[in-house]
Amino acid sequence: MKRLFVVALCLLAATLLWTPRFADAEEPIKIGVIVPLSGIAAQGGVELRDGIEMAAKEKKTVLGRPIELIVEDTRVKPDVAVSKAEKLVYKDGCVALIGVFSSGVGLAIAKNIDKLNVPFLTTHVMTTEFYGLHPLVFRSGQLANDQTAVGNVKGILATPDLKNRKYYVLVHDYAWGHDGGERFVALAKENGIEVVNPDFDKAPIKTTDWSTYISKIKASGADGVYIVLITTVIPVFTKQADEFGLFENMRLVSAAAPGVTELEAGGKACYGIFGASCYSWDIDTPAANEWEKKYWEMYKAIPSDAAAHSYVGAMNLFNGIEKAGSTDPMKIADALRGISFDGPYGTVRISAKDNCMRNEAVLTETMAAPENPYGAKVYMKVLRTFTPEELGPPE
Amino acid sequence: MQTLISSGADIVFNSLVLGGVFLIVAIGLNIIYGLSRVMNLAHGSLYALGAYFGFTIVGSGLNFFIALLIAPIVVGVFGLLLERVLIAPMRERPMIYTLILTYGLMFFLDGLIKYLWGNETRFIELPAFLNQTLTVGSISYPSYRLATLFGVAGIMGGLSLLLGKTKIGTTMRAASNIPEMVSVLGVNMKLVHMGGFVLGCVLAGLAGVLAGPLFTVYPIMGHEMLISSFVVIVIGGLGSLRGAVLAAFLIGAVQTLAEFFITDFAMVVVYMMMAVILVFMPRGLLGEGKFE
Amino acid sequence: MIVVALFALPYFVPNRFYLRLVNEMLIYGLLAMSLDVLLGYTGLLSFMHTSYLGIAAYIVGLFLKFVCPSSLWLAFLVGLVGTGVIALVVGWVQVRTGGLAFALLTLAFGMMYFTVVWKWYGVTGGDDGLMGVPHPDITLGPWTLANSGDSNGIYYLSLLIVMLCFVVTRRIIRSPFGAVLESIRENEERASFVGINVRFYKLLGWMLACLLAGVAGVLFILFRGYIGPTTMDAFAGAGVLMMVLLGGMGTLWGPLVGAGLFIYIQDYISTMTEHWELFLGLVVILLVLFMPRGVAGLSDLLRRGGKE
Repeated sequence: MKRLFVVALCLLAATLLWTPRFADAEEPIKIGVIVPLSGIAAQGGVELRDGIEMAAKEKKTVLGRPIELIVEDTRVKPDVAVSKAEKLVYKDGCVALIGVFSSGVGLAIAKNIDKLNVPFLTTHVMTTEFYGLHPLVFRSGQLANDQTAVGNVKGILATPDLKNRKYYVLVHDYAWGHDGGERFVALAKENGIEVVNPDFDKAPIKTTDWSTYISKIKASGADGVYIVLITTVIPVFTKQADEFGLFENMRLVSAAAPGVTELEAGGKACYGIFGASCYSWDIDTPAANEWEKKYWEMYKAIPSDAAAHSYVGAMNLFNGIEKAGSTDPMKIADALRGISFDGPYGTVRISAKDNCMRNEAVLTETMAAPENPYGAKVYMKVLRTFTPEELGPPE
Repeated sequence: MQTLISSGADIVFNSLVLGGVFLIVAIGLNIIYGLSRVMNLAHGSLYALGAYFGFTIVGSGLNFFIALLIAPIVVGVFGLLLERVLIAPMRERPMIYTLILTYGLMFFLDGLIKYLWGNETRFIELPAFLNQTLTVGSISYPSYRLATLFGVAGIMGGLSLLLGKTKIGTTMRAASNIPEMVSVLGVNMKLVHMGGFVLGCVLAGLAGVLAGPLFTVYPIMGHEMLISSFVVIVIGGLGSLRGAVLAAFLIGAVQTLAEFFITDFAMVVVYMMMAVILVFMPRGLLGEGKFE
Repeated sequence: MIVVALFALPYFVPNRFYLRLVNEMLIYGLLAMSLDVLLGYTGLLSFMHTSYLGIAAYIVGLFLKFVCPSSLWLAFLVGLVGTGVIALVVGWVQVRTGGLAFALLTLAFGMMYFTVVWKWYGVTGGDDGLMGVPHPDITLGPWTLANSGDSNGIYYLSLLIVMLCFVVTRRIIRSPFGAVLESIRENEERASFVGINVRFYKLLGWMLACLLAGVAGVLFILFRGYIGPTTMDAFAGAGVLMMVLLGGMGTLWGPLVGAGLFIYIQDYISTMTEHWELFLGLVVILLVLFMPRGVAGLSDLLRRGGKE
């Protein structure tokens, strides 16, 4: 018994030895990057991380100190994410948190931010709950659910082939899916777009066998489908739906942009997905082309929207810390309000009103890709651009 | 009316396909339990491994049918290794240790899969003639799913031939029911244990390759399959092959119907069935099961 | 000696992260100990014992969020009573069987609980879980000692409660009641021949284990302020089982150490590499093969070695 006590005490002593050194001026600025690196959104998490890393490599230093990114895997689980956030802040001494793919995770961290007391900037969470959620919580990334709904509804109304269809709404069964579904249903009702199931159908996040949902869609009498599904899953659903012959007389509108790597695996079956999002590599501006070139050189991967908006979000964060002149959370938060960055998809500005971003967006449809340096066979073709004012929300 | 027929056909076929996959996995699990006397918690991971091997084989340009043949064999060889190195030495110890061992094995194999193949969802490419949509009247159904049904029937046919008509099969059946007698008769029980385990692994791998194009190939595909297959073998009766047939299609149908009619707590019904069977009919629906 | 060290911990290690890590070890240690009562002493295996931690956590979480955010002890009571009632009903059904059938029943019920919690979005928040649970003050009579949201506060509360449970459980195990449980573990048939009402005692052992798990659940929700379905899925369930095995079953203190080790390894390994599952699985396999009695077995070995 005594021996064991000694062993356990040694363990305790070992933990004591792990106390971090005091920070000094040459110490790097640590930013905690919270992304899913395993589970169903893993590919998205990788792209988020790569975009942030790219920004860090370009920016190199903030406040004269080198940027150090510490990456943690959330496995798309809110409780794991919160403990990783605690580890990043308490153990590693990170001055800010960035990233997060899932709205469920984002909300869990945001609700704990008082304890953590660091600014938290998400580059992907789309839930509208983030508007004005907390002075330390920001969004600079993927379009929010309301902005996407506005973009999609405008797009549907402007496209004769989509305007008069009856839509079946299918969402992922968690915070983001519910919010996205509600937004679309409400806006569709206002604009005279028919929705056959206003209570919208919900599928668990981990669904991989969509056959029953596809059967339900067929049985519903709809001729259009509006999906609020996680980017990495969209091509899986689409491929299976295609196998069931769903698209012979149905069109697909998506709230989230389909993941570019998964699109490649899905191939022809994934043509014709319509949706509004921040970015596609089809955008033809000097800034976009330059960014894509650098991204391709660094990662040899198809430039994805997840990478693009996390790059921009990271730049906003770094510039915010620079502008604040210190690592004090409230000072950084004040500096972030109103900050903007010109990047691959135009100017992205964080609104001082609600801590969330306003920027241009594009309406896209997936189809066969033209010649391109990435070897991509499928791409999102830009149909039109939206101005920030069109998308809202008003300030 | 048209949509009714179409939906009805969808439900029937979806149930059969789901049940079919459950069946192959459950039979493998039952064989391992009956012959090798092991409750194999790593079975789901072996199923996933089969799917991943299938993916790699097809990905390297070979025909899908070759993958269907080779992947299960690879999983079988792997199973042989596992049986010799890990399972056999544990046979004298109380069952709980083997249970926890196969549990650790499951974690290990899952980690191995992620390590070797990464986290993303993978697709298995099918040859063009399998990748079509069959349309009869108002019913459109993927031809691959129908082909799977034939595949399952073929596998079951092969198995029943093996078990019913061959000497090896008869030995296996006897060893499953009355192991003591069989060993007294001079049959090498070590071979029986080994053979049973390997056969079970082959079946798991085969189910994985079949299911790959259906459900996509992703790292945790084994987990759900494991739980579902446990439910199936409990309801069908532990070790009962005929019971597994009944239970697999029953569960396949219940799950499909439940998902269709938006009954959120549908799976609760399935688990309750499992609980009821365990308490009141532990020998399963057909009364053929056995608990050690 | 250890006890003193644990009490003094917050003063030596001001870093909140480590304090919270040890806190987590205490809570899971209690859970592992409760499983040991079931497995190591009564001889019943449960695949999903974490369900009872989860149930208690959800009940308390919902209570604090929607009924009464300020009363700690009332929440405790509600959590324990709720968990106890569910455990009683389910346990009454389960103790009619034993061995593998019992274990599979715990799997069936565990998956049932999981599905309910996972799908009932309106009440439990489904996949998102229960967020933003308020932290009531820790009061003793008229004095407010601390707030359960404060890291030090919840640490001392956990430490005291876990220690209390350990002492009480050890007393119970060492009593004639405990002897009856162990006789059931050894051989159910023989125990019944001696006139013991096996079902009744199995149920009592089960209730003790579930109530202790419930206590761990209350501490869990106070500690985290959050509970999600993953905490009570099949993998969490097996994780506790591994903690018991790691520490050595049938010793009560073994699982406490096992939980500490498990959480430490999981935390340490997951920061080192993404492939932590590979290592965890390997550790479990090696453990079962070479060290089936866990850390407790090791300490026995050391003791015997020392005596020679």
